[in-house]
Amino acid sequence: MTGDDLAALLPILVLALGSVGLLLIGAWFPRRRTLILTGVGIAVAAAAAAAFYTPPVEEISGLYGSGLYARFFTVLWSLVAALVLLLSVRYAVELGFAGGEYTALVLFGAAGMSLLSASTSLVGFFLGLEAFTLVFYILIAFHKGDPLGAEAGLKYLVLGAVATGFMAFGIALIYTASGTFHLPEAMEGITAGARFRPIGLLGWGMLLVVIGFKVSLVPFHLWTPDVYQGAPAPVAGLLSTGSKGAVFAALVTLLAGLPADRSDLIPILWVLSAISMVVGTLSALRQDNVKRMLAYSSVVHMGYVMIALLSGGASGGRAIVFYLVAYAAANLGAFGVIASLTGAGGEPQTYDDFQGIGWRNPFRCAALAIFLLSLAGIPPTAGFIGKFGIFYAAMESGYGVLAILGILASLISLYYYLRVVVLMFMTFECEVDHARGGISEHSALTICLGAVVILGILPGPLLDLIAALFS
Amino acid sequence: MNLEPITFPWLTLLIVLPLLAAALSLVLRKHPVFSRWLALGITLAVLAITIGIFIVADGRGGWLLYEDYPWIASFGIRYTLGLDGISLLLVLLTAFTQVLAILISWHRKYQMAVFYSMLLFMEAGIMGVFLSLDLFLFYLFWEVMLIPMFFLIGVWGHERRVYAAVKFFIFTMAGSLLMLLAIIALYLLHGQQTGDYSFALAALKNTSIPPALEPWLYAAFVLAFAVKVPLVPLHTWLPDAHTEAPTAGSLDLAGLLLKTGLYGLIRIAFPLFPEMAAASLPLLAAFALFGIFYAAWIAYAQIDAKRLIAYSSVAHVGFMVLGLCAWNVTAMEGSILLMFSHGITTGALFLMMGMIHHRTESREIGRLGGIWGKAPVLSAFFLFFALASLGLPGLNNFVGEILILLGAFHANPLWGALAMGGVVFAAAYMLRLVQGVIWGPSEGRTEEITWTDLHPRELLILAPLAVLVLWIGLYPETFLAPIREPVRNLLEGASLVAMKGGLP
Repeated sequence: MTGDDLAALLPILVLALGSVGLLLIGAWFPRRRTLILTGVGIAVAAAAAAAFYTPPVEEISGLYGSGLYARFFTVLWSLVAALVLLLSVRYAVELGFAGGEYTALVLFGAAGMSLLSASTSLVGFFLGLEAFTLVFYILIAFHKGDPLGAEAGLKYLVLGAVATGFMAFGIALIYTASGTFHLPEAMEGITAGARFRPIGLLGWGMLLVVIGFKVSLVPFHLWTPDVYQGAPAPVAGLLSTGSKGAVFAALVTLLAGLPADRSDLIPILWVLSAISMVVGTLSALRQDNVKRMLAYSSVVHMGYVMIALLSGGASGGRAIVFYLVAYAAANLGAFGVIASLTGAGGEPQTYDDFQGIGWRNPFRCAALAIFLLSLAGIPPTAGFIGKFGIFYAAMESGYGVLAILGILASLISLYYYLRVVVLMFMTFECEVDHARGGISEHSALTICLGAVVILGILPGPLLDLIAALFS
Repeated sequence: MNLEPITFPWLTLLIVLPLLAAALSLVLRKHPVFSRWLALGITLAVLAITIGIFIVADGRGGWLLYEDYPWIASFGIRYTLGLDGISLLLVLLTAFTQVLAILISWHRKYQMAVFYSMLLFMEAGIMGVFLSLDLFLFYLFWEVMLIPMFFLIGVWGHERRVYAAVKFFIFTMAGSLLMLLAIIALYLLHGQQTGDYSFALAALKNTSIPPALEPWLYAAFVLAFAVKVPLVPLHTWLPDAHTEAPTAGSLDLAGLLLKTGLYGLIRIAFPLFPEMAAASLPLLAAFALFGIFYAAWIAYAQIDAKRLIAYSSVAHVGFMVLGLCAWNVTAMEGSILLMFSHGITTGALFLMMGMIHHRTESREIGRLGGIWGKAPVLSAFFLFFALASLGLPGLNNFVGEILILLGAFHANPLWGALAMGGVVFAAAYMLRLVQGVIWGPSEGRTEEITWTDLHPRELLILAPLAVLVLWIGLYPETFLAPIREPVRNLLEGASLVAMKGGLP
């Protein structure tokens, strides 16, 4: 590794070293608020480093890219981490989290997500994915007093360990077939006529299982509702936006290496997308817990993103990236509202907890309503532009049936999103007092809200930037 | 197109003014009185602007005002607004209706500032629908106007408000999401054919669509608009939404939202797919005729006065659709004029039901009655608007209906003959409403309360409506002049006969 490589890793180093530093400082000065706010500063610094510092090399040790694409996602995940930390300031105090460890883990997770998004090699893919998966093993069960949290952590751990095994084996098989870890060459092993094509395909199939597990595509989604329900709300937000988005970002690179004729994979991806949308939607309808509903809704959303992934090409890639940004803003915001309403009585999770609270907490509930409308894809929110991009890509590359399925899923999804809005604003006002929320939470929610609305009205600049990523 | 070289963006102002006021109203949630005056001031300002445009336009044809800016360059989406005679009439109706909606809600208590804010948001959305000439922009406004309506019904509505609000939202979304796919498909086809990726209505008109795909795309557009119109059998959301909505909401639903569906047919669906439109006109006419009778029949059986008026709306839009289907100048002009007239009369009836409900806490025809002796002015107004609604000659609806009937006879004598019967039905249910509400025996309720006749504020609301009813009824030319040329252009530009190569 040369000095240039190190320089190119600057944003990641900021995150990782900042994480280690906070861990050490936290051992002597366990002051939650200060530590977490410092973590926010570190994450923003990393985002700034990625945004404004042009690295001297295009690729780092043949493992990670450092081009515009990689930098874009480093900025995105660092900002997501910063928002998650902002949303956790009061939450961590309320539930007595160890500030140093918590902050360090979130920052380290952001580093892992950034690496995964930037990976140009299967080894890099493995390292990045494992880096943040390890973080989540701890973060999900961070609230020690909560049995649901422990259950969720264990669930994620067991399934995650299995997935890791699959991934290592799958990568080994792909390596056997192609003789390289580097993308896109590693994918040549499965082109038609390649010598070890069956082995390569088997490896790729195993990799798909892992990906399906990480982004919770049906039928690998069963952990999702339990883990979302048990995890602390800010962590669930990070899990639902960053960890899934990073996998998709890497997947775009991975699939770009595939030969133009992807006829082997298309039926599998098609089915994964379709059943994720259908099963996710139908399951979300039956929930009476907002976090579980959001879990199933994320299954549906990943199904939408799969449509764009299938469509491929420039418009597919652009649609994915825009959708990930729009989804991250809205979903993080939704979990953020739950976090900000959390008081001594625990998180408001069931629909009953949301009954009639709208007029008592007007800003946050209105924000939640807008986030949910964005997830439902109603204009003028970012979610609408994102969905438009996906359906556009789908129609362009001839996936009209998936587009229609997606439309039907969004139509039905309206029902469960609106249900929360109805409960908040259209029932009799209740006497339950939820937490009033701190200034840090309000500012984080304002940022998410601003992103959702501004990207819905003026998406032009971001779309242009994303177009530049693929040129 | 004769583009007016304008410097001041009047059309944008029509959208932005209510939008800003709505946002301000939300922020100043704690100052309801301020937001009330703000809402009134802004809606009056918008009304003044539209009246100004109406006077300046003076019946000219072409685009009276036109604005065009790039918006989302990477998709070729533009912010294009245009105002011709047809949209002018509807914009005028919107501005006028919203002033009344604010006035009728003057003494609302619960979350007043948010209520006004929703009304203003809706005004912006509806203005946008009537003005957009870029399909993406149109779709955006088309959906944006749903959200405030959803909240108006759901938060401030009557007993079954949540059911009605969710049903309204999901019904209309179901139609419009399919339209979104059709818009994208059209955009892609046009882009692939010409290399010019654009959502501009004018550009997309020239797309040649594969015959296998064309019916589906047309169906998606028509379905979206037919749900909003609503054409029987897609109307079931309407009685619930109209009945459960607060008075201002019913006013906007009947007066404005239904018109957006008809406007979409005229402005977008027919011009984009002229051949398909020609082929579907008899089918649409059949649905319209069926709707006229079916809705009249159901209206006659209602016990809830608001629901009766809601069904009368369904019957009236049946006439309007029939007028479009006749596809000649007379009927089309009648249709558009009836769109305007219906907004006034049905709006007035909903307003008056709101006033009566406010006094009696009841909307049941059987429980009301005997008002004539106690509140003569109110009753007289009610009778007047009910007569206008059933098409009494000399009042506004008559003009529109007679033009439609003449045109329909011209196009197909059977349609005309059948529609004629619908007019009789309208008289039946309207007279039953009048008889039940203002005369007739009442079951207790109206006897007990002390009746106050119209307040000055209520008189202020009803008087301009009554003037308009008489004006359109006696001298419709004022309102027919601006639509004459646009209608001719529509019929010729998308002339169905010419498109079919000269065959009738």
